[in-house]
Amino acid sequence: MRALLTVTISATCLMAMVSVSKADPAAGQAVFKAKECVACHYTEGPAREKTIEDQLAKKGPELWYAGDKFQAEWLAGWLADPKPIRPMKFNSLTEENAGDHPALGAEESATVAEFLMSLTSGEVEAGTVKVKKNAKGRQIFTKKMPCSGCHQYTGRKKVIAGGRSGPSLVDAGVRLNADWILAYLKKPEVFKPVKMMPVFVGLLSDKDMANVASYVGNFKPKKKK
Amino acid sequence: MKKITIIATLAGIACHVFITPVSASDTQIIYKFYCAQCHGLTGKGDGPNVTKDFPVSPRNFTDAAEMNKLSDADMKNVILDGGPSASKSPMMPPWGKTLTGEEADGLVKHLRTLCKCEGKKS
Ligand code: HEC
Ligand code: HEC
Ligand code: HEC
Repeated sequence: MRALLTVTISATCLMAMVSVSKADPAAGQAVFKAKECVACHYTEGPAREKTIEDQLAKKGPELWYAGDKFQAEWLAGWLADPKPIRPMKFNSLTEENAGDHPALGAEESATVAEFLMSLTSGEVEAGTVKVKKNAKGRQIFTKKMPCSGCHQYTGRKKVIAGGRSGPSLVDAGVRLNADWILAYLKKPEVFKPVKMMPVFVGLLSDKDMANVASYVGNFKPKKKK
Repeated sequence: MKKITIIATLAGIACHVFITPVSASDTQIIYKFYCAQCHGLTGKGDGPNVTKDFPVSPRNFTDAAEMNKLSDADMKNVILDGGPSASKSPMMPPWGKTLTGEEADGLVKHLRTLCKCEGKKS
């Protein structure tokens, strides 16, 4: 009896997995349009922003390279239960992030995530960054460069430290793809030609960019004992 | 002859583009976008990054006594090359790969209007 149950459950799970992997991004794209996500996010590259005014006119971050940037599992979860990523309201230095992002139902989240994960730039090399407790990366992030001046992260004794103008990098390894972090540092003109974060090309070597991407990509919640 | 005129005109345009100073209104936009995150919208050193555990306080640009210790060249240098280039904190980022020299010149002028001071002559 128990064996039969296990078999049935596994078979159902397998079917569910297959149906997810077969689902087609067009379905998610239709939901994305119907839910008016397009009012605040654009999904077709290349980057459109040419001036500071262009960047400030946006109501939400661009999503045309979402498939490069995010971890698929995180994305579907966040769409259903969005928690603030940027401490401050988008494009504001004075107002806090109210945490009022529209949420989707579980099923819609999965299909929209599927659509967003299909959006890539072709500019990210997969498998180049190995995430680990990277001492060199830590040194750059917390001491040598001002990264921690603008980004929150989990510091000593698990206390959240760091600045508030950039997106929070607390548990960034769950949210972001480390290979994308490297590409973002190396080719800012592709992903964000106009941004508040300084350009580090020529200031950090490719190797050090990989070290810092490895360090940030390793930001993960401590397992509860 | 015609060729020379064309070259001269092109050179003229190129020089014009490169030498034109950045306007005061564009400089304000640049300041708010890049610098205010730490130095604050009005320059008091109170941007949203400056929480109680920020390691050093960003320069208060309205403090004339402090700002008078710096020459325009000192400021341009620290803006482009970052804090460590002037033995200051790395929390002051290097903007040399983000901003042009002209934009930095514009910012120096802007900071002088905030401190209402002339600075050390170097
Ligand atoms: C009113 C404008 C607005 C609408 C409508 C909107 N968003 Fe957003 N979206 C934002 C803002 C602002 C953020 C940044 C939130 C944060 O940092 O916490 C964001 C963040 C995101 C992110 C994370 C992007 C990143 O770079 O951090 C995703 C994914 C996303 N939205 C998807 C959607 C989807 C799907 C919909 C439609 C159901 C939608 N958004 C509707 C404004 C909007
Ligand atoms: C002056 C503030 C500032 C500094 C210094 C800074 N950042 Fe950023 N960073 C930002 C802001 C603001 C963004 C959001 C995009 C933008 O406008 O630049 C960002 C975006 C990012 C992102 C993408 C996050 C996301 O969810 O979209 C990563 C990763 C990142 N920064 C890492 C770094 C690293 C590594 C360093 C140091 C080498 C660094 N940052 C230094 C302000 C800063
Ligand atoms: C990530 C935060 C941060 C950002 C963004 C930032 N600064 Fe700073 N800045 C600082 C800190 C911190 C100091 C003080 C360094 C010290 O005293 O060791 C400083 C100091 C300065 C000084 C004084 C240097 C000296 O020798 O005393 C100038 C001038 C300056 N910043 C200009 C700018 C300009 C212009 C911008 C925008 C392009 C800018 N800063 C953006 C953090 C920042």
